[in-house]
Amino acid sequence: MSIRLERTKVAAIGAFAAMAVAGAALADETCNSPYTTRLIKGQEDYVHVWTLGVDGLGDGSDKLVTVDVNPKSKGYGKVVHTLPVGGRGEAHHMGFTDDRKFLWAGGLDDSKIHVFDVGTDPSKPKLVKTIADLPQKTGFVGPHTFYAMPGRMLIQALSNNKDHGGVTGIAVYNNKGEFVAKYDMPATEIGGAKGDGYGYDLAINPKKNVLLTSSFTGWNNYMMDMGKMVKDAEAMKRFGTTMAAWDLKAMKPKQVFSVPGSPLEIRWSLNPKDNWAVTATALTSKIWLIKPDGKGGWQAKDVATIGDPSKIPLPVDISISADGKGLWVNTFMDGMTRYFDLTNPEAPKEVYSKNTGKQVNMISQSWDGKRVYITSSLLANWDKKGEDNEQFLALFDWNGKELKEKWRVDFNKEKLGRAHHMKFSAKPAAKKAAAAESVRVAAAR
Amino acid sequence: MSGWKVAAGLVLVATTLHQAPVFAHRAEHKPVVARPVMDYTPPAAGSYTLHVIQSMPDGRVVDAGGRTRPFAEYTRGRITLLSLIYTYCTEPTGCALAYETQVDLRKRIVADPALHGRAQFVSLSFDPLNDKPETMRLYGGKNARADGPLPWHFLTTSSVKALKPILDGLGQEIEVEVDARGKPTRTISHMLKLFLIDREGRVREIYSTDFLHPEAMLNDIKTLVMEEDGQRH
Repeated sequence: MSIRLERTKVAAIGAFAAMAVAGAALADETCNSPYTTRLIKGQEDYVHVWTLGVDGLGDGSDKLVTVDVNPKSKGYGKVVHTLPVGGRGEAHHMGFTDDRKFLWAGGLDDSKIHVFDVGTDPSKPKLVKTIADLPQKTGFVGPHTFYAMPGRMLIQALSNNKDHGGVTGIAVYNNKGEFVAKYDMPATEIGGAKGDGYGYDLAINPKKNVLLTSSFTGWNNYMMDMGKMVKDAEAMKRFGTTMAAWDLKAMKPKQVFSVPGSPLEIRWSLNPKDNWAVTATALTSKIWLIKPDGKGGWQAKDVATIGDPSKIPLPVDISISADGKGLWVNTFMDGMTRYFDLTNPEAPKEVYSKNTGKQVNMISQSWDGKRVYITSSLLANWDKKGEDNEQFLALFDWNGKELKEKWRVDFNKEKLGRAHHMKFSAKPAAKKAAAAESVRVAAAR
Repeated sequence: MSGWKVAAGLVLVATTLHQAPVFAHRAEHKPVVARPVMDYTPPAAGSYTLHVIQSMPDGRVVDAGGRTRPFAEYTRGRITLLSLIYTYCTEPTGCALAYETQVDLRKRIVADPALHGRAQFVSLSFDPLNDKPETMRLYGGKNARADGPLPWHFLTTSSVKALKPILDGLGQEIEVEVDARGKPTRTISHMLKLFLIDREGRVREIYSTDFLHPEAMLNDIKTLVMEEDGQRH
């Protein structure tokens, strides 16, 4: 019902991307909120990269960089638009609103949330609002994950404004950008394990009314130079070691799981028959499976190893295939992109690996799994130095056996900054017709 | 925020769908409904808080009898479940699902005397040129009544101009699909949303397709009733 390319539509003046007819899709290019509509199952037209500004490089500002990724376009593989937001706030992650018209992008340092209109014309996003009251309203800082719910956004923060440690929570803002509510991460024993109060990612299974959360570290660590931090034994103790399962409707934690080593991104299987999710732990280099425990609750299991954990390859992002049968894993330190067979989620098996850069972070695949996008930056103070500090957006084709690089945009050479999170967008299918029709109608009024 | 504006496609609703045949009656038009899977026991009513998400917009609407009234008359004073629909929608996960969910929920409310007189349903059309008051009355059929244990109002507006501020305020965008030649079709694209509104006219929950679980929605209504009565678990 929601395949963009299956319909031709009239859109608003200024044009809108095609959208689902009356209903949310099950998922969105495999990693976004199940409540986000306008699923792109065909060819994406643009990739928006939330990019950290670098002092002395170009304008030095954090910016939204838009790259044309449609192979039929003249601008294929090229930067077609940049939108600086002014200053450097440690640009990090983004998330669409439920209607996919707006992209919320957070700064881990300044705690600002920039709202970009990417629905009107995805080739030229516009900054329409900046939300700056998160610390004031919640006591949380470091807005990380933006996860759409109907009419509102769940925002998972990383830290707090009292001690800048890892104790934090979830904020809710409505789509107008107004504060609605806040929820602290669990810090007591619930269901056999004690919460650490930390947060990182969140993901929802609607049919189970379950919200899963994971845990990372606070501002004191993520803004510290990585070389300095790893030598600081006390700092290294301050990483999350838990996940939690929440009653989504009540927004109350029901269980805490011990998951050592900082569990990061959470991905539910998109197969409607499945009820499990996976995560990867950054410091212990493991894949964990979260699944029903057979007693009405949930359990977390260590099911696979990523690379050689003793070398701390640092798995930093994962991307699950639409059928729930495969999982991409990027490990930052060794620049490896690995593919795990998830046919048996109890025993994921690495079946492919390739070095895709000197440092790699985010990985996003198209719905059909044929295209895999990779960026390079982890955090400004954690990225490698000198020649190893490659900054790029790269596209690879995946034929099921091998990754083949199509192109790479050098963000250093282009004086853009550090390439971090990516989101896809698509042109309105009937933009010209819509615009012409709208003008005609407007003129006739 | 500019995105809070309704799509200008709405203009096209006004200009291209007015010649569409009027919906006859739901009895002659039984669209397929695809209900979302619900595999959980919802939390008990009153055991959780429904925060205020947003306020309701003002506006003027037209009831099934053709009378123009302030929209607030239908969104305040009782707990209101508002759906935005158009009468000839056939999307299995769209308006038809909204209607069937409300029918299911209505049975549950009517079966609970403690809820009688505490809630109401409102179905508001976003195609005022096709969905005239008579159309809405026929669409509602026997459910269209302003009295009884659960009033259900089937409303429209006098014009697109009257409708637009309501949709703007709710954050409900719509678009009209066109065919391969660029001609507008009779399909209006919209993200299905139902709004649960407290007696003060504040939105306390928004349901899209995956959230349309009548059992959980009933508990939400009971939660607001208990809040009104000062009862919390």
